[in-house]
Amino acid sequence: MKKKLIALLVSAAMLSLTLCSGVLAEDSESDLAYVQEKGTLVVGITNFEPMDYLDENGEWIGFDADMAKAFAESLGVDVEFVEIDWDNKILELDGKTIDCVWNGMTLTDEVTSAMECSNAYCKNAQIVVIPATVSTDYQSADDLADLSFAAEAGSAGEAVLNDLGLNVTPVKAQTDALMEVSAGTSDAAVIDSLMAAAMVGEGTSYEDLTTSIELSSEEYGVGFRKGSDLAEELNKFFEESFQSGETMKVAETYGLQLAVIGDDAEAETESETEALTE
Amino acid sequence: MELFMEQLPIVVRSLNVGFLQTLKLFFVTLIGAFPLGLIIAFGSMSRFKPLSFFTRIIVWVFRGTPLMIQLLIIYYFPGLVLHNPIWGGGESGRFLAASVSFILNYACYFSEIYRGGIQGVPIGQEEAGLVLGMTKSQIFFKVTLLQMIKRIVPPMSNEIITLVKDTSLARIIALQEIIWAGQAFMKGSQGISGAIWPLFFTAIYYLVCNGILTLLLGALEKKLDYFR
Repeated sequence: MKKKLIALLVSAAMLSLTLCSGVLAEDSESDLAYVQEKGTLVVGITNFEPMDYLDENGEWIGFDADMAKAFAESLGVDVEFVEIDWDNKILELDGKTIDCVWNGMTLTDEVTSAMECSNAYCKNAQIVVIPATVSTDYQSADDLADLSFAAEAGSAGEAVLNDLGLNVTPVKAQTDALMEVSAGTSDAAVIDSLMAAAMVGEGTSYEDLTTSIELSSEEYGVGFRKGSDLAEELNKFFEESFQSGETMKVAETYGLQLAVIGDDAEAETESETEALTE
Repeated sequence: MELFMEQLPIVVRSLNVGFLQTLKLFFVTLIGAFPLGLIIAFGSMSRFKPLSFFTRIIVWVFRGTPLMIQLLIIYYFPGLVLHNPIWGGGESGRFLAASVSFILNYACYFSEIYRGGIQGVPIGQEEAGLVLGMTKSQIFFKVTLLQMIKRIVPPMSNEIITLVKDTSLARIIALQEIIWAGQAFMKGSQGISGAIWPLFFTAIYYLVCNGILTLLLGALEKKLDYFR
């Protein structure tokens, strides 16, 4: 009986071992090769206009979605968009259930330490909007101390003003903040630069206002698995696409032409890495 | 109010899609866990000690850890540790992984209910079968099983109603069930953003579904009354 039992246990152990080795895949050294072999680039996204969102036909569009489609095409693979839980993005990447996070992701320390990130391709900033007539008087953050500001309640703009200890009136929307300045009830407003580009200055509804200094800025990048060679591949793709004007064409479709980061930023990061290697 | 009436059809359409996924997971789990639970129950009652020990360990693990962790492990473990993401990243892979987790978890709970039901049938019933010259399997299928079913309906109803609500845990691996669909409107989806009410509105779906189930299970219980 005992012998039988031992034999049974041993065979069970052997069986589970062989099963394990059966499902244990070879770790290919190149992520690029891995993606090309399976033929699909799985892109992790959330529903985030204007980067990734659904059109009426239920297809994913947006600046990021369109760029991801073009990048997949350049690799010769299909693209598959998968909605993920944003909190689990690193788990999804490392678990290989997605191949990249491409969703207007701000390049924070958390993100850059856990992922292989591409160069920044897009920029958003909190920017001061003031009447054009007085704009020359306010060129640095120190000049702002005596101004009264309007900013959307709960926005990044309100947060940065509070951090600086400036006088803020919270209003309901970013457009309301502009109206406050236009009406003279506040001296200046802080809104995000994407919106400012569309609504302030010549040829817009607020011609007498202008943008002044940036208080804080964030950059968007694409995240891959740590150590992945796809990040470098994407940087190359971004450069080519920017030079051919393709990137700008897509950006204009979604009104992001002023936010896109092209050559200059890449040159900057290149010189930075050069400085590091020296 | 006007805004609400405007948003309602969009939200309901989106919640319906999510609830369909919830129901799919619910039925797949039941279909898988009913028979698997019975097999596990036999395993844990087996007179072959290593087998019953092994099954009881499995039941202990699945009942002793949160279903949410089981979902995370079953979905992410193959890719993270074995470097072979067997489920894939798509919606169907997520559904499959969720189904496997739910079936295993619920089969373990069901197995204990079955065991209680089988062991609760008086020994005299089995002895009577033996006297009549029935085989073991005849006794089980013709004598014990139906009496067991009658006994387990109330505790099973409890588990089934819990299962409807537990399906919401699958959103942790981004299965887009009804809670996910409701929450999407908070951040913005289909032109509606910052709307909190769709999330709370999902409760009505669960309530109606469980109301229907309660009635059905109550009717089943009545129908089995003649065993008394």
